[in-house]
Amino acid sequence: MSNYATTSEERDDRFGSGLAGAIVLHLALIGGLAAVAIFEHVHTPHWGENTASIGAIQASMVSAIPLPPKAAPVKDSVLASEDVTPTPQPPPKEATQPPPKPTDVLIKAKTPTKVPKVAPIETPVPPKHPQPAPVTPKAASGDAATQLPQSVSQLKNGTAALTVQNRVFGNRYAYYLRIVANAVNQSYATYSGQADPNASMNKSVTLLFDIQRDGSIANLHVENHSGSSTLDTAALRAIQHLDNFPQLPEGDHITIEYKFDYRQQ
Amino acid sequence: MKSIRAGKNVSLFAVLFASIAVPSMHAQDWFHLETSGGATRIRIAVANFKPQAGDPAAYKHTFDTTLFADLTAAGLFDIVSKDMIPQSTPGTQAEISLAQWSAAPASAAMVAFGNVGVANDRLVVNGFLDDAKNAQYPQVFAKQYNEAASDDSARQIAHRFADEIIARLGGGVSGIAETKIYYSKRTGTGKEIWEMDYDGANQHEITHLGAISISPRVSPDNSRVAFSSLGKDGFQIKMYSLLLGRLVNFTSAGGTNVSPAWAPSGQQLAFSSSRTGDPEIWISDPEGRVAHKITSFIGPDVSPTWNPKTGGQIAWISGRTHLPQLYIMDADGSGVQRLTDGGYATSPSWSPNGQFLTFAWDRKYGPGAPGGQDIYVMEIASKKWIQLTHDIGPCDFPSWSPDGRHIVFANGNGAHTRIMSMLADGTQKQALTGAGSDMPNWSWK
Repeated sequence: MSNYATTSEERDDRFGSGLAGAIVLHLALIGGLAAVAIFEHVHTPHWGENTASIGAIQASMVSAIPLPPKAAPVKDSVLASEDVTPTPQPPPKEATQPPPKPTDVLIKAKTPTKVPKVAPIETPVPPKHPQPAPVTPKAASGDAATQLPQSVSQLKNGTAALTVQNRVFGNRYAYYLRIVANAVNQSYATYSGQADPNASMNKSVTLLFDIQRDGSIANLHVENHSGSSTLDTAALRAIQHLDNFPQLPEGDHITIEYKFDYRQQ
Repeated sequence: MKSIRAGKNVSLFAVLFASIAVPSMHAQDWFHLETSGGATRIRIAVANFKPQAGDPAAYKHTFDTTLFADLTAAGLFDIVSKDMIPQSTPGTQAEISLAQWSAAPASAAMVAFGNVGVANDRLVVNGFLDDAKNAQYPQVFAKQYNEAASDDSARQIAHRFADEIIARLGGGVSGIAETKIYYSKRTGTGKEIWEMDYDGANQHEITHLGAISISPRVSPDNSRVAFSSLGKDGFQIKMYSLLLGRLVNFTSAGGTNVSPAWAPSGQQLAFSSSRTGDPEIWISDPEGRVAHKITSFIGPDVSPTWNPKTGGQIAWISGRTHLPQLYIMDADGSGVQRLTDGGYATSPSWSPNGQFLTFAWDRKYGPGAPGGQDIYVMEIASKKWIQLTHDIGPCDFPSWSPDGRHIVFANGNGAHTRIMSMLADGTQKQALTGAGSDMPNWSWK
């Protein structure tokens, strides 16, 4: 017991001397830091007091801030896109050779020199229904790269982009295309609710249709399937349920490409 | 030393403050505004037209106010208030500076402008519509109008110019500024058929029969008006030619014959007749010949209206279950469907696109029941309805405009009945006539 007491006293002693040492060390450290800071404060030049031109800051007025023009990101063109290029379709699986039929099994005949018959490798039959082809950005042809959408609108479920194939018409009658885009977007806002959100997420469908001279719609069809049938149907219905557009200001018909991107915001 | 400490404190405080403040700022920053359909109305500015040769001041005022009123009433545009438009009055394409119009506060997407002149008692109006957002090719169209100078022709030119703008910018449906409304007006002891412009201007009497003439219905080609008139042999269908300015033949029959309705082809007329005892729906040609009955129900069948899109269906009011209800059927009398589930429904009118019916309905009909007679619109496919009038007294006799965007109806009690119009969503209600006018019918074009 007494032994224990002495050791504890010894420990206290050692602790006291250590504490004093630490305090001294810390004070020295703080003092050193302060000395360095004061030295720095005194000897480094203050803001704006450059010895060459004391107290003179030159500022010149500009009429506008020359910010770079902000352009809407172009989705279709790989050259100007901010988005990551979609990953290409995985390479097709190599057709595996069908297992040999029992009749094909070669029975060793007396003439082993004969070349054994090999069953013909079946070429995969092309699917009957058109398969959804992923939208591949066409960067190779300059034509596709210059074809920017006439109007891109942010909607509740993603974006809708209108492209008119006749560029001259698009420039000359921009107001007409605004009316078309407005009508389609309003209709799509109603019908996009019918698209299945899970199946349609981040998919896009491209429709193609003609506007006739009298403003009626013809030749409506899906150009690029999205892979989600509900999204395809919703986009088709949005256009089918439109009454009419105003009659064309010029020409016999125009062809409109409409792309709906489905995205939850 | 002090200064450094102070600096440290400040920076520490700043970090602390930031760590506290950032979450709340973050929460406030992300609010999202959304328009109902993602669609906006076209914002259009209407300049005061520039006076040219002669002294067109009086006509110019009529023209400017009529054009502004027409475009406002169209229900298609977001009209820039006249207080916000630039002071300049450009008269020609060369005189307009579109930047002035597309900038705030006007912020117009489209500008209508032009000039008015009088030369040799002719009123000459040049009208232009420009796309203010298209600096390269601003002009949408230009029109010149040349009419004998009068206040009425100034108004008609404004109507035509407005219709032209609506046709170019609207949903492919032409405007209604040149359409007419036919109605029944109390004159002394009887009622005559009257006609007015769609905005209530230019009211004038059509028939002079000295009888009680009600429920006028104009033919799809605007050449004839069918109506029901009370003579010595009861209510009979009468036919008035607007081209000849007199009554033309319509075969009369026994019983009460009321509520005529034109088929969209103009070759058939449906009406209610009690010639066989019970009021039923009959169809005849426009001279009243080859009449045949298409309903056979006990109880009155009245107020037919054709589907103007297909001409293959008729909506009407039937009292087979005691209180009058709204029904539709095919034009041969088959495929009967009941649309209203109760109350007291009267006077249906079919929308031009065939999708909707508007009718007057007292949903809580009966002694001591709350509610009154109001105008409703029902989508036929889904049988969903909305109420368009509220708390303005009894409303009856709705009639669609040919563009499907407006409804005209009668409002008020007895002798105080007046004619009002509104957009088909129930907004922009305005009175077109004073008291004593009833049973409006909007022309087909």
